[in-house]
Amino acid sequence: MDDLRVDSVITVAGMGKQFRRFHSGRPVTFQEAAVNKLRGMAAVERFWALREVSLTVSKGQMVGLIGRNGAGKSTLLRMIGGVGRPDEGSVRTRGRIGALLDLGTGFHPDLTGRENVFVAGVIGGLTRREVAQRLEAIVGFAELEEVIDNPLRTYSTGMVMRLAFAVAANTDPDVLLIDEVLAVGDLPFQRKCLEQIAQFKNNGCAIVLVSHDLDLVRRLCDEVIWLKSGQLELHGPAEVVVGQYIAGTARETTRRTPISRAVQHTPAGVALRVNENRFGSQELAIAEVRMLDAAGLPVTEIAAGDYLRVEIDYRADRSVEAGRAEICPRFSVTITRGDGVVCFDTTGEAGAGGGQVALGIARLDLRKGVYFVDVGTYTRDWSYAYDYHWHAYTLTVSGASGGKGVLDAPHRWETDSVIGWTNDVEETLKAGLVTASSREKLPL
Amino acid sequence: MSSRMAMWPTRKVTYLFDLLRELVARDLKIRYKRSALGLAWSLLNPLAQLLVFGFLFGMVLPLNIPNFPLFLFSGVLVWNWFSTSLLSAATAITDNRELIKRPGFHAAILPVVTVTSNLIHFVLALPILLAFALISGVGLSPVLVLLPLVMALQFILTLGLSYFVATFQVTFRDTQYLLGVILMLGFYLTPVFYAVASVPAHLQWLYRLNPVAQLLVAYRSILIYGKMPDWLSLLALYVMACLVLIGGYAIFSSRAGSRFVEEL
Repeated sequence: MDDLRVDSVITVAGMGKQFRRFHSGRPVTFQEAAVNKLRGMAAVERFWALREVSLTVSKGQMVGLIGRNGAGKSTLLRMIGGVGRPDEGSVRTRGRIGALLDLGTGFHPDLTGRENVFVAGVIGGLTRREVAQRLEAIVGFAELEEVIDNPLRTYSTGMVMRLAFAVAANTDPDVLLIDEVLAVGDLPFQRKCLEQIAQFKNNGCAIVLVSHDLDLVRRLCDEVIWLKSGQLELHGPAEVVVGQYIAGTARETTRRTPISRAVQHTPAGVALRVNENRFGSQELAIAEVRMLDAAGLPVTEIAAGDYLRVEIDYRADRSVEAGRAEICPRFSVTITRGDGVVCFDTTGEAGAGGGQVALGIARLDLRKGVYFVDVGTYTRDWSYAYDYHWHAYTLTVSGASGGKGVLDAPHRWETDSVIGWTNDVEETLKAGLVTASSREKLPL
Repeated sequence: MSSRMAMWPTRKVTYLFDLLRELVARDLKIRYKRSALGLAWSLLNPLAQLLVFGFLFGMVLPLNIPNFPLFLFSGVLVWNWFSTSLLSAATAITDNRELIKRPGFHAAILPVVTVTSNLIHFVLALPILLAFALISGVGLSPVLVLLPLVMALQFILTLGLSYFVATFQVTFRDTQYLLGVILMLGFYLTPVFYAVASVPAHLQWLYRLNPVAQLLVAYRSILIYGKMPDWLSLLALYVMACLVLIGGYAIFSSRAGSRFVEEL
């Protein structure tokens, strides 16, 4: 990208960062160092955690960083924040840096909410006076007016997070670094956080966001950088980079899919065969998928606008479960039409190990036809699929035939003309009133 | 290195002072918040030491030092400030990894926080020390106005050494234990409860090299003898303490940039 932008707030030019890898038996105490006669103190090897990274972020711009775990996203974020020195190239920022990295840094459970606001605010770069001026705004934003003088240990996790975000949100940064912390609190509060971030952006704050939530990245960011093994894989408009990243996921999934696996049958009797209609590493397998109606009964056909519940049973493969306790899978449910048009797509998370995850769709307003419900489970960073069942579950939607398009949403025509068709008396009256009022405006 | 905001120097000074103030206050509040005695706890330890050593060397093995309680209490307070600062500075970096990894945080403030917190304990105990002086008939001499000068010296010296131990602790996690042993030895090799005069003449040079011993001499000449401290030795100590601080800060900040973040 253009390095000469006048209004660039963050400029990273040809930056590289080396980390040392030490011998596993490197002494960590004087005692061991003395016993080993200082052998093994030197690094075994150096490796580049980041290499030849260049980017600029201007005022009011938001850049997303995506990539697999260990690709260097968080390292890059901290380097931009001035934590650690680059081994080559340079990092320059202008203005105050705000960070939403580890929310609640400096918080202590025995101090009251108010005392913690002061500590966290000062750590965040404000003077005491500035914190005092903003105290009301912070507490109001966190919606904790009533408990602010209670010790933090009496707060719920969500309340602590809200307070931490509220402090961070009130430090007026010129540069804001965000690392996967937007999943804070309940939904209304999350929305509030996103609004606040949008407001920062409008006020000219340069924002860098690290997230595994590709939807969020696509929605919020102007540009996205895909980091792969510490290098820029792709840098461009959000839509393009996220699209390419998802395509990369498909390639990686194919690569990891085992050559053979015992055939499994869906409740409808469809055979699931790997590399045919089933893909993924199988570290975590989808054991069963059930589609249920509002009454909880299995269905293969619903009427347009009906409730649909998709239940997914999943379990970890015993051979790969050991040492993989952190697998925290993401799930996707995609409803596609026979011609490949994606009509509905949503993602969710679930706990590790195994269990059940269910998706409830309040109303499925799809046009009459036959659809595929594709179900997948992915790694946390979406780098590849554990298991993906492609076109294995069909769903028939019944309804009025005719018309083009995807949706069969509840609808009604209204008109201001007296010839207008409606079979509702009230509507007729309303239509009549509208007609009368618009007639007055006519010169006739 | 990212250039931080070109703040007005006055704002930056205010900011660093506020940061120090909040972190010290946090330290003290956390330590005493849930205890009935509160800050009085900070006095308990030196008072207990005073009782034990007063009993031992005032009655069991009398050292015959005039104004022994005052002599002893000044030694204990000065030594405690020095040793507890160093011990807590050792873990100042390793216990605050979140802060260290936070963009824009000034890591160099953490050792200042530990030395300042312990300074506050010292200051809180000072009235008791002065009460001792009054009770024992020594009285309060006008030389007492020089006390902050000696305290500033101790602050600089302790802070300089704190930077060293905090830096070592990051690489060698047993620094704190080793330091505990060294400080225990240091306690007996420093004239906390005995007078330098009673040390054999051929070992006196050792005590001249011990900065804390020299510091104690300066404190006691002000507090007990009501005399000006030896200006030459005070000046030498100041020069030495400043060199230690510069060296400690240099090694600390050269590591703080990159290695801390990697090794924590």
